[in-house]
Amino acid sequence: MNGLLTKFLLKNPSVLVFLGALALFTAFVSVGSEAFGWGFISTSFVKTLGKTLCFCLIAIAMDLVWGYCGILSLGHFAFFGLGGYMLGMWLMYARTEIIVQTAMSNEVIPPTDQEVIDAIGTQIFGVVGGSDFPMIWAFAHLFWVQLALVVLVPGILALVFGWLAFRSRVTGVYLSILTQAMTLALSLYLFQNDSGLRGNNGLSGLQNLPGLDDVSQDIVSMWFFWASAFALGLSYLLVKLITESKLGNIVRGIRDDEARVRFLGYNVEGYKLFVFVLTAIIAGIAGALYYPQAGIINPAEIAPIASIYLAVWVAIGGRGRIYGAVIGAAFVSLLSTWFTGGQAPDIPLGIYTIKWVDWWLVLLGLSFVIVTLYFPKGIGGLFDRLVRKGDA
Amino acid sequence: MAELLEVNGISVTFDGFKAINNLAFSIGYAELRAIIGPNGAGKTTFMDIVTGKTRPDEGSVLWGEKSISLLSKSESQIANLGIGRKFQKPTVFEDQSVRDNLMMALKAKRTPWAVLFHRGSDDETVRIEELATEIGLKDALDRRAGDLSHGQKQWLEIGMLLAQDPQLLLVDEPAAGMTVDERNKTTEILKRAAKTRAVVVVEHDMEFIRNLDCKVTCLHEGSVLAEGSLDFVTSNKDVIDVYLGR
Repeated sequence: MNGLLTKFLLKNPSVLVFLGALALFTAFVSVGSEAFGWGFISTSFVKTLGKTLCFCLIAIAMDLVWGYCGILSLGHFAFFGLGGYMLGMWLMYARTEIIVQTAMSNEVIPPTDQEVIDAIGTQIFGVVGGSDFPMIWAFAHLFWVQLALVVLVPGILALVFGWLAFRSRVTGVYLSILTQAMTLALSLYLFQNDSGLRGNNGLSGLQNLPGLDDVSQDIVSMWFFWASAFALGLSYLLVKLITESKLGNIVRGIRDDEARVRFLGYNVEGYKLFVFVLTAIIAGIAGALYYPQAGIINPAEIAPIASIYLAVWVAIGGRGRIYGAVIGAAFVSLLSTWFTGGQAPDIPLGIYTIKWVDWWLVLLGLSFVIVTLYFPKGIGGLFDRLVRKGDA
Repeated sequence: MAELLEVNGISVTFDGFKAINNLAFSIGYAELRAIIGPNGAGKTTFMDIVTGKTRPDEGSVLWGEKSISLLSKSESQIANLGIGRKFQKPTVFEDQSVRDNLMMALKAKRTPWAVLFHRGSDDETVRIEELATEIGLKDALDRRAGDLSHGQKQWLEIGMLLAQDPQLLLVDEPAAGMTVDERNKTTEILKRAAKTRAVVVVEHDMEFIRNLDCKVTCLHEGSVLAEGSLDFVTSNKDVIDVYLGR
């Protein structure tokens, strides 16, 4: 297997370039961090960078499902959010349990287990006027189970949804609309107080790791940054292995001419399902890494617009080239942070002042239109052209 | 079963229009057959039914020695049973190399798992080179399929059919848009293929069919009008009426 991997890397030097660049970037951030280095990169910016890596991770998934397989899913942020919720449940439960136990340890009569659980329930569900644990929290105290659910819940939802949609041969824009409906329905459901996930309050305090209150956020942020970088590197390698294999050829064939692939004897629906589920799982993992860095998750995160942004990132970065998706997600999401964070200088035009907080979306929309019309291959395409010129 | 494919009494209606009307058709194990007929005679719909793209309202489609019914099978299952199809418009995967196109078509396991861990063996490389030689694209193996000429794309698609190693090839207008030389070469490829398997060719061009030198079936309004040698069919009064217009 080792030999095969070496052979693969030799045949695809771009993977090594990407992994090398990612390693360098990770080392640079580590050296610059407040926790382990000179501290010229603030902890909050480390978190922003770590979250950006998670966006890059889900963008890779989006590029595989859209750029390679031709399925324009506008619902992948639902899987991202679900991954975040699954890990968030454990984080919130385990931390609340510690807080409750500490508070109760001062009481004269030691509390029974039921009293502890009730108190945790009141702490968590008080905001939505409840104290009982809903069914879906049955495993919230078990870290490994919730970790498995990060993969299983998005995977199974994608499997059921994909099976129904692909089997009925729903394709193109109709499928995109269905995926939007899926993420909208999920988000609306989670907004309800009795959904069991605290309605519009969502899950909060996720940046605090249970039992590790002594460890400062400077260090925790670096842990998550490393984990995100590792997951990104691993997924990049995995997705490249897929796209450069015969499976990659079939998947591209499905994108270009589904019927032809079918008449070659391939079960197209099975292949689509495989890609859809795999990318949902990658999205779930990305979400599980993202929300502890963001600290809070609520149903607004999986509103339909989030998944549309994802498509915009990948389109601007360049479809059908995995590094393009990474560049697009990193570039656009960082730029978005800059513009909407109030750091971008406003432009006074005499009678009217362009405030970027409001106008950023207009700029993004315009660049999306320009990229689609004039640079269909995105930023990655420009990159390709430079490399090719370098060869000549 | 004496025949490879036996189609009996099939009919199909689209919005009140009877595209196929009580059609019967059969072909043997190693036979070349041409299907002719005016536009709208049901030639392409017939192929759609055999390959599982369209379901007939009635009738039977039986395949092979065990007389398996194809009506309940999906397109990919039918393809794996051994029926290959070439479309009217050349459809190759333009973004990929000639080699990759042939590799995808080559007979092998078709499940995602098997395909993911597929490594090209030496046997496969040899087979692909043989196929490329057969269709005259040996020097173009690493070219992008989209950069091929129209005729070369047609051949590549025929090559992909042969790579599937089917028992029956359904070929829709293989000579459309080809030069005379290209046509002659296509005739040769098809004739050679028909030595070991059944080949059904749908064509408009009478000269091309004459060169194929095989039994001809003439379709009209969804059923068989005449069947026999080309001279027999073209001298049939009904056929003349249909082609010249009554």
